[in-house]
Formats: sequence, C-alpha cells, structure tokens
Amino acid sequence: MVTVCLAALLIVSMLVAGCTSNGTTTTVPATATQAGSSAPTTAAQTETLTLTGSTTVLPIAQAVADAYMQAHPEANIQVSGGGSGVGIQAIINKKVDIGMSSADVSAAQKAQDSDMNIITIAHDGIAIVVNPANTIQDISLAQVKQIYSGNTTSWSSISGAGIANSNNQIVLVGRDSSSGTRSYFDSSVMQGANDSLSMHEDNSNGAVLQEVAQTPNAIGYISIGYLTSDVKALPIELANGTLIAPTVATVKDKTYPIHRDLYMITNGQPTGLAKDYLDFLLSPDGQKIVVAQGYVALNS
Amino acid sequence: MVSRLKERFVRSVFFFTAFFAVIVVAFILLFLLRDGYSIFETVGVVNFLFGPTWAPASVAPSYEISALIIGTLLVTLGAMLFAVPLSIGCAIYISELASPRIKSILKPATELLAGIPSVVYGFFGLIVLSTFIRITFNIPSGQTWLAGSILLGVMALPTIISVSEDAISSVPCEYREGSLAVGATRWQTISRVIVPGALSGIAAAIILGIGRAIGETMAVLMVTGNTAIIPSPIWNVLSPVRTLTGTLGIEMGDVAIGSEHYHALFGVAVVLLVITLIINMSAVSILSYLRDGRSAGRAKRSWLHLPALSLIREKLIPYSRIAILALIALLFLAAGFWEVALVVVLAAAAWHYGRNMISRRHIELFAFGCIVAAAVAVLAILAIILGYIIINGLPAISWNFLTQGPSDLGRSGGIFPAIVGTLYLVTGAILIALPLGVGAAVYLVEYTREGRVTKLIRTGVDLLNGTPSIVFGLFGFAFLVIFLDIGVSLLAGMITLALMVLPTVIRTTEESLKNIPHSLREGSFALGATQWQTIKNVVIPPAIPGIVTGAILSIGRAAGETAPIMFVAVVFSTRFLPTSLFQPVMALPYHLFILSTNVPGSSTNKYGTALVLLMLVVAFYAVAILIRNHYAKKARG
Repeated sequence: MVTVCLAALLIVSMLVAGCTSNGTTTTVPATATQAGSSAPTTAAQTETLTLTGSTTVLPIAQAVADAYMQAHPEANIQVSGGGSGVGIQAIINKKVDIGMSSADVSAAQKAQDSDMNIITIAHDGIAIVVNPANTIQDISLAQVKQIYSGNTTSWSSISGAGIANSNNQIVLVGRDSSSGTRSYFDSSVMQGANDSLSMHEDNSNGAVLQEVAQTPNAIGYISIGYLTSDVKALPIELANGTLIAPTVATVKDKTYPIHRDLYMITNGQPTGLAKDYLDFLLSPDGQKIVVAQGYVALNS
Repeated sequence: MVSRLKERFVRSVFFFTAFFAVIVVAFILLFLLRDGYSIFETVGVVNFLFGPTWAPASVAPSYEISALIIGTLLVTLGAMLFAVPLSIGCAIYISELASPRIKSILKPATELLAGIPSVVYGFFGLIVLSTFIRITFNIPSGQTWLAGSILLGVMALPTIISVSEDAISSVPCEYREGSLAVGATRWQTISRVIVPGALSGIAAAIILGIGRAIGETMAVLMVTGNTAIIPSPIWNVLSPVRTLTGTLGIEMGDVAIGSEHYHALFGVAVVLLVITLIINMSAVSILSYLRDGRSAGRAKRSWLHLPALSLIREKLIPYSRIAILALIALLFLAAGFWEVALVVVLAAAAWHYGRNMISRRHIELFAFGCIVAAAVAVLAILAIILGYIIINGLPAISWNFLTQGPSDLGRSGGIFPAIVGTLYLVTGAILIALPLGVGAAVYLVEYTREGRVTKLIRTGVDLLNGTPSIVFGLFGFAFLVIFLDIGVSLLAGMITLALMVLPTVIRTTEESLKNIPHSLREGSFALGATQWQTIKNVVIPPAIPGIVTGAILSIGRAAGETAPIMFVAVVFSTRFLPTSLFQPVMALPYHLFILSTNVPGSSTNKYGTALVLLMLVVAFYAVAILIRNHYAKKARG
C-alpha cells in the first residue's frame, strides 16, 4: 500500500514538474532549442561519424558537431571522451573515424599505423588553477614543480598564498595516468620529476575544475578552454620576473610557457563525412567556434 | 518415440541453460587471466600483490597494488562499522518490534534504498557528502576514506537488513515463547535468545554486505579522491584512498589496449574477482550450512548448538566485546576526538559495573530507543537522498528535456536518447537473461535431485551473483568488444547486463517454482502428462508472478548500472537513436556520470538526469515489490 503511495507521489511530482517548468523555458538556451528543435528520430539516411579521445579536444569537437549537424540534419556525429591515449589507440585499431589527442603522437604509436594522418586543429594552453579563496596572485613553474612533486606541501611556504580559516595544506589535483594533459604537464613542467603519490586523480578537465572549485586548498591544471570564474587561473612568473596570464592572446603569441597543439587523427586522408567535418572545423567558421569555446585558433 | 526424443531434447536444452552460468564464470575468469597474466609474469606475483607503488604514469611506471588492496579493505571495514549496527538494529526493529503497519512502510523503504543506482549515490556523495565532511572536520578536502565508507555503508544497508531480518524471523517461535515464559523481558529475549540464535544468519548477512561493498565502483570512485596511498597513520579516516574498483573505473576507459598498464588493470580485476569470490563463497557456505543443519533434525541438534558457534559464543564473545570497544575507542582517538573516545570507554565501564543497579525496564527502554533510532536513521537516509535529488531535479524536468537530444555536451538540450538507450539496453538484457534464467531454474527445480552437478551449477550462480559489476564491464570489453570484435555497441551492452542480472532471474524463478505444491505435479503425472507437458502447463503458469517480479527487479538493477556498460556500450552524446544493434547508445547512468564529473556548468541538466534515472529505477522496483506483495497476500489467503 505504502509503495503505491510512494510510487504515485513520485509520478505525480514528475507530472507537476513537467507542467510548471513548461513556462520557464529559460533553462534551455535559445540556440539549443533551435539545434534540437525536432525530436530525434531514427532517420533512414543518416550518416554516422564517430570521434573519440582527449577530453581537452572534446568541447571543440562537440561544438563543431552541433553546428555541423544543425546545417546537415542527416549527419549523426557521435563524440566520446576517454583521453588522448584512447583516441590514438582507437585510430590504430581502426575503431573510430576520427581520434582526438592533446598529446603528440609518439614514434612507437606512429609505427603501429603507417596511414595515420595527424591534423593540427587548434592551439591550447594549460592553466594552473586554484580556488578563488586562495590569496595567491601568481606562481612560477619552479614552484608548481615543487608543489606537484610533493616537496612543497603548505600554501604558507609560498609567498602571497594562503586560505583564511584553514591549515593551508595543499590539496594536489591532477589527471589520470593516460591523460594527454597530464603527459604534457609532466614533460613540460615536471620535466622528469614524478608526481607526488598523494595527488588526487580525476579523469577529465571538468572533474579537476569541479574539485578545485569545491576545495579551498586545491591546486589543479586544466586546458584554458575549460576556464570559468569558479576557479582562479594563475599568471605564470617567468625567470625574468614578467607575469604571463593564461589567455588566448598569450597562447597565440607563445609567450605563455605551457602551450601545445591539439590534434585530430584519421586513418589515411579523410573522406566523406569525416572530410566535410574536418574541412568545416578548419574553415574560418569552424575556427570561430574554436575561439568561442575558449581555445586558440590556428594562425591562418 | 517422437515424444521421448522431444522430452530428451527439452531436458538437454534446460541443462544447457542451467550450465550456462558455470560456463560464464569460467569464461570471465579465463578472459581476465588471459589479459592479466602477463603482468604477473613481468612484475611477479609477489611484487604485484605486496609492492606499495601504483604509478602507471610515472617516469618508471610501477604496477604494485598493495595500496589499492588496503584501500579497498579499509573502505569496506569503515562501511561495515557504519552499516552493521544500523542494519541489525533496523532488522530487529522490523522483525521484533514494529507493528504490521510500520513494518509495511519500513520494509519497502529499505528495498527502495537498494534500488537507488550507485551513480546516484556517487553524485550525492560528490556534491553533498564530501563538502559536508570537509566543512565538519575542517580538512582541506572532503574526498576521503570516510566519505567512501559512509556511502558504501548506506549501499550495504539493504542487503544486511533483508538477510538478517530473514534470519531473525526464522528463529523458532518456541525459543521466544520459552524465554518470555521464564520471565525474561523482551529485550533480554532479543539480546540473549533471538540474536544469538540468528547469529550465523546475521554473519552471512554481514559477509554478503561486505561483498556488495567491495565490488562497488561508481560511488567509491566519485568520493574517495583516488589517491593510491596507504593512509598515514593507517587509521586516518580523513585520508584520501583508492580502491581496486575505483582504479578500474578511472583508468580502464583511458588505457591503450595491449599496453603493460592494460594488462596491469586486468591483473587488478583478477585480484578483485578472487577477493569477492572468497567472500561470497564463505557467506554462501554459512547460509547453506544453516539450511542443512535446520532440515537435518532441528529438534535434536539445532544449528544453535553447532560446535564452532558455541565455541564462538562461549569463548570469544566476552573478549570480542572488549576488542570491539577498544577498536572503536582507538578509531575515535586516532581521528582526533579523544573526548568521544573517553565517553565511549567511560560509558562501557559504567555499563559493566553499574548494569545490575539499573532496572531491567530501563535497560530495555534504552535498548529499544537505540533500535528505533537505527530504524529512523535508515528512513532518514532514504528521505535525505530522495529529497535532495527530487528538490534539485524537478526544475530541470520539462517536456523538452525529456524529448530532445542533448547539445553543448549535455549542458543544454534534453536526454531523450539516453532514456531510450537505457530502455533498449534493459529490454535486450532481459530478453537474453529471462529464457536462460528461467530455463536454469526449471532444470534445477524440476529435473534434478541435489547432487554434484546441481552443486556445481549453484556454485556458478552464486559466484556470478557475487561478481562485481565492473568486472562484468571488463569482461564485456575484453571478450565481446575486443575478442569477438562486436565493437562498443548496444548488443555488447545487452549481453553484459544480461550476464549480470542472470543470477537474480534464476534465484527468483527458483523460489517461485519451489512454492508450487508437489501435489499439482503429481496430479499431472498421474493423468499421464510428460515432464515437459507438466512443466509447461502446470508448473510454469502459477509461477509467472514470481518470475515477472524477478524480471522487473533485474530490469531495475540493469537500468541503474554504470560500471558494466561504460566501456562496452555507451557513447558520450548522440543525436539519433541507434538503428542497429551494432551502434553505441547513450544511457542515463553514464550520462549522469559524465555530466557530474566531466562537464562543468551542467548543473540543471545534471540534477534532472539524476531525477529521471532515480524515477525510472525506483518505479521498476516499486512495481516489482507491489506484484510480490500482491501475490504474497493472495497466497496467504
């Protein structure tokens, strides 16, 4: 009897919600309603394109896919994450049409697939982020290395840093072991030193962002495309004392020290929908989307 | 002649379905070992198991898992410290104290708790619990061992409650009456007669709860910080930890196939599987010991007087009380609450020396107060989690949200493909699992007497039941996606989920077949019907409500699972519904996982997805509970 009541209550509450929020369409942005205005159908002539890999490249790939699909209703573009390692491996195993990577493809990986076709689609910077509650204003790469190797464990040993009402113990947040962002961070910032074992490992840029935003004592690193006001992106202090903030402009002119390229990879020259998609991405319109997502467009 | 052949054919088909569970278990072990074997060779079994450093991304990668094993054990231990008192209190309340009316609320409520998908627990833990812990204890990060233990404890509650409630209710009535007749209070009866009488059942319940906790992936992965260290000091519950399952969940999706790291993860899965198998086998053997002991003449030698148990009761219990007390006090002391530790010790001392001075009435009152508090706590937990998700999720629900495809990585747009994808997955899974499961149950109940073969099959089913869901995911990936080359697809997801729910289908069908009176079968045989005719026309029809209940419970379980499908069947986002079985789909639990961990700024849709998933699964469970209760009432007359 009680179960009936519970179930009924739940169903009724859902119905009520359905009715009330019909009025408040503000939850769905106008652009989105346009993009998905027709209910999804199993169209007979859909053409499917699959992309897998780096979560850094993912927002670009998805935004470009949304725009492309809006213009081409018959196209079905499926985008998955996983990490750069997965993207490259999926291309080697021919499991996916386009692999996404934020890491350079190693010689060993290239050797496994002679047809591999690597296309640079955008530039990116890796921002060092802390919680807005932290008073720190800037940081040097040497300090970052000390922090991530576990030698510096307290914010109080870094000048200007500190969190009110806390013990100032640093919470290290990093990426999982097959992330392209982590491998780039490890090679360019850590330069051979190992990450501290007490680092929390999250499996995407978004997860790092969320944990740093939620944790006053945290430090993390994410692609500049993911930056929001929930975290504080620290300018890097160079050896000569200049401060360089992680912005589109500083990544573009390569003054920001932790910058890299983002790639899409295909097996051989792309054809059909893959070619159309990549052409669109590399066109001025596509590169506008890259910029809109917070990344740096290719220099044309 | 033809009919004889047909009978034989039918029999062998049933035998095959029954043996299928054994084959699957063997296959899972084989395929995990196949991919995990090389790591045991390169690292060495001893180093792999006992070395401390798990660092696949380090300059010199290191694959040693003792920190992960210890993390798993610690999180489970903490979960049990939390769950065991609560659930035994709740079980005692349900079976001994509650009025039928309250019982009819509390029992379905605990069952609904079992229906909440683990990714929803994780989502709740990530957003609410870890922040709560961070602020309460004033520590840098709330992603801790404690958070994992509390979540796992809550998830283990329903299992422990339902099994120990069964054990308590099946203590013979004469015991209760005898005790009351010699003048014992109700509390003395419960604490000295009933609970000791149900001890082995409660032990099995706890072990099953441990098995459930150890095998859990998504919830733990989202709240423990995933730091591969051994807490220092070892009892520091506020340290981040990493479990075996969490390692698989976080790294498996990202690893290059065939690399050393890939093999190491399969090695981890083998270790995990072996641990859970040992735990579940011990629970199963305790339970079957209990059953056999009871049927073998309970008047003369009840299981209450098994030598091993009486040894435990007489020799160990007085010491174990002191040991448990010391452990609890030490834990509080270690966590920095020396005041609490002092109170615990003082209270225990006061109890020990002063209990004869307090009247039996007051002791009873106090004990019942604790028991009621446990039951209320369980209800409160359910209410908090449901309330949180419903309140935050309702504003997201709209017609567009339910009927449109996602856009902008799921931040806007709807979840229609995920809803349909989940429904496709569970439909396929149940279509595969139902014939196999019902067939296996029919073979076990109708065709055989207990013997070596049935024992093997039952063991297979029990093992399958105890296998962690993430291990099914790894098996599906290694066998279906890679080896059979089906690819990440709807079909692979359906098969993986089907294997996972198969034991539930077999068990519930078996139960309902056993409830069909023997006289019906004998009547049918007496009229000259063959075995198959009897099964088809006499045995199966009245068992259908039970079978349907099992099927719906399985659907609910399959719909909420993330770990088995995340490497096997799902895609981040797609606009269209799949047109063939070989395409991947979106699924609600995975979509929620992605939104809550990968996509910042998706809060409205995140809560909406959580609510829809919760509704869907809870609705399945509610329907199953309703059907069962309806027919249970009917059967009683």
